[in-house]
Amino acid sequence: MPSFRAGFAHPLDELRDELDRLWSSLTAAPPLHGWGTRARGDVFPAVNVSETDDCITVEAELPGLDAGDVDVSVNGEELVLKGARPEPTAAAGSGATAAPGVPSTAAHGGEGGPTVTWHRRERGTGGFERRLMLPVTVDATRVEARLVDGVLTVICPKAAERQPHKVSVRVD
Amino acid sequence: MVTNSRSAATGRPANPEAPGSTNCLTYQPHVDVCDHGGEVVLVADMPGAAAQGIDVSFEQGVLSVHAAVPARQLPGRPLRQEYGVGDYRRSFRLGDGFDASQIAAEYRRGVLTIRVPRLAAVRPRKVPVATA
Repeated sequence: MPSFRAGFAHPLDELRDELDRLWSSLTAAPPLHGWGTRARGDVFPAVNVSETDDCITVEAELPGLDAGDVDVSVNGEELVLKGARPEPTAAAGSGATAAPGVPSTAAHGGEGGPTVTWHRRERGTGGFERRLMLPVTVDATRVEARLVDGVLTVICPKAAERQPHKVSVRVD
Repeated sequence: MVTNSRSAATGRPANPEAPGSTNCLTYQPHVDVCDHGGEVVLVADMPGAAAQGIDVSFEQGVLSVHAAVPARQLPGRPLRQEYGVGDYRRSFRLGDGFDASQIAAEYRRGVLTIRVPRLAAVRPRKVPVATA
């Protein structure tokens, strides 16, 4: 009878990965402006933000979502990312095609269907809303967002009056 | 609750054989694992991975996944950095009784789904109970 153990390949690997997990809580994704700016583990989605002279760029990881599942809105200096990730089907989870004949219930199949046993449920589900205060006012009419392979990129052009204006020096 | 897609990072060297991989950090993806008799299904969040850089192997009962993530950098000056970008790697001991030749993997919307079917000889079989 085959055995299934949802775990790591080797006890030493398991120990190593656990140490990695602890270590990463101190070192992974170091914030650039102090630890106080780091998102807590329960903040979703985590974001990276950068600024150029012309725009603010916000990136977030939203695996399993379609473009239509994410609501991106801008109001003045506030950017809101909103959406929901549905409960995974027993066969595939969000973002994948369910196998024929496999129930979509989380615990057990329907009458006559196969019994489904979950060994791990690490991927979160449910609704989310993240509000970000941008450092400058942006032009909401020109904000662009794209979602590729689960990575959302929002480009927010700065409002015209906020863009740096270069003054030319006249030579007499 | 929705969670972010990575839980750990290590500073292991990038795999030079993995297409598209230029990262030195490796993360463990969050994974759902379910078993419904005929097959075991693993679903892993791997946003930003390159489909052609995903390597799934099954050897001696251990399913291993490595996904190369092309390095990406936001333009300009960083204002906030809440997560890092790196490859994904994780392995699971499934044991024997699986048909390695029929393992199928699909990558869509940043999610990798792997189906590992059991050998027909070891699939659970429901025995009907006859009534007198």
